[in-house]
Amino acid sequence: MQKIEERIFEYTGYKQEDFSVCLGCKICASVCTLNDVGFKVNPQELLLSLFMGLKIKNHVLINLCTSCYRCTESCPWEIRIPELVRAIKEITDKEESFTKAMKESIRIFGRVYEPYVILRVLPTIILKGYVKYLKRWKDYINFHLPTFAGKKG
Amino acid sequence: MTYAYYPGCALKGSAKRLDLTLRKLFSRLGLTMKEIPDWTCCGALEYGDRKQIILNSKKNLNKASFISRMVIAACPLCVKNLKESEKDGEFSIFHPLDLLNVKLILSAEIKNDLTNHIFTPYYGCLLMRPKETALKDKEVMEKIIKALGGEVCGTEIKDKCCGGNRFFIDKDLAFNLSKIILERSKGTFVVFCPFCHLILKTFSGDRKVIYFTELLLYVLGDIKKL
Ligand code: SF4
Ligand code: SF4
Repeated sequence: MQKIEERIFEYTGYKQEDFSVCLGCKICASVCTLNDVGFKVNPQELLLSLFMGLKIKNHVLINLCTSCYRCTESCPWEIRIPELVRAIKEITDKEESFTKAMKESIRIFGRVYEPYVILRVLPTIILKGYVKYLKRWKDYINFHLPTFAGKKG
Repeated sequence: MTYAYYPGCALKGSAKRLDLTLRKLFSRLGLTMKEIPDWTCCGALEYGDRKQIILNSKKNLNKASFISRMVIAACPLCVKNLKESEKDGEFSIFHPLDLLNVKLILSAEIKNDLTNHIFTPYYGCLLMRPKETALKDKEVMEKIIKALGGEVCGTEIKDKCCGGNRFFIDKDLAFNLSKIILERSKGTFVVFCPFCHLILKTFSGDRKVIYFTELLLYVLGDIKKL
């Protein structure tokens, strides 16, 4: 079986040497959105581990990265850390049930059909206390019918 | 000239209002767009495999080519994916904010100006970053609002992350991130991203959160109240 690292490179289009340019300046860490709300996250750690062939799949960013691209914007080499995170998640099967439900929907309908996704993650929505926001979501409920656009082409 | 319109999943569901108001606004401004038939999801931020994302958008662009090589999408995620899949310069991809500008708005008949209104134009992440796919003019909403007499606030938070991508995964993270944005801003929230709308609206209390298209339709007199 292919090593995780190789698959990450294949998924993101990066090569191992692309990370050797990292200066270790930690600008990415200083701008990371997560640090605004009290986490101490350092995206460069992830690169370093990847470059050195260390374990990456339990890095804290895998659970937290919001894909805001702030690190990418400030990095002198514009390294796309959120895309690495997404690749790692998909390869190591660390995707959340929500992401999985969306992909399911795309596979079936060719599109993200929201009622289907909500049904699939209903336990999460109830257990994690989202119900109290229902009143505020009136606006978003649109009972369109699913299309099967994906099936035709 | 006709633009090929790629609505994307959200605009057919939770962001239906953005879809309707965008169509109406464009027809009021004399811009013609036609929806791409049988389009499929671009993959949003859900796939780790870049090839998959690019493939999805390429398929949609192929379908668009029967209408026009000028393609419009309103969801920031769709715009990013379409722009990334378009490397040969065969298609031009636009976000509505790439096409809207002060001159165009002022050339229409203005029914309501925005005097005495305060707004926070909020762009969120993907209209601002990464730079290859971001908007060219990162102050277009401010410029239009000011030209119409409105007051603009919240410049330092306009490109901060609201946590939209994590909303159904980590509620507390989304709550804490949107709190920063809500606290450091004033007046009516004006957004263009369906997810920013959903997240900010969920946590905004009494604050109003509207799409920029709705604001412009108010200016043109198609919507009675803000
Ligand atoms: S994309 Fe992820 S790692 Fe980069 S700044 Fe945003 S949250 Fe931090
Ligand atoms: S900002 Fe870029 S170059 Fe600097 S440490 Fe982070 S990844 Fe490396």
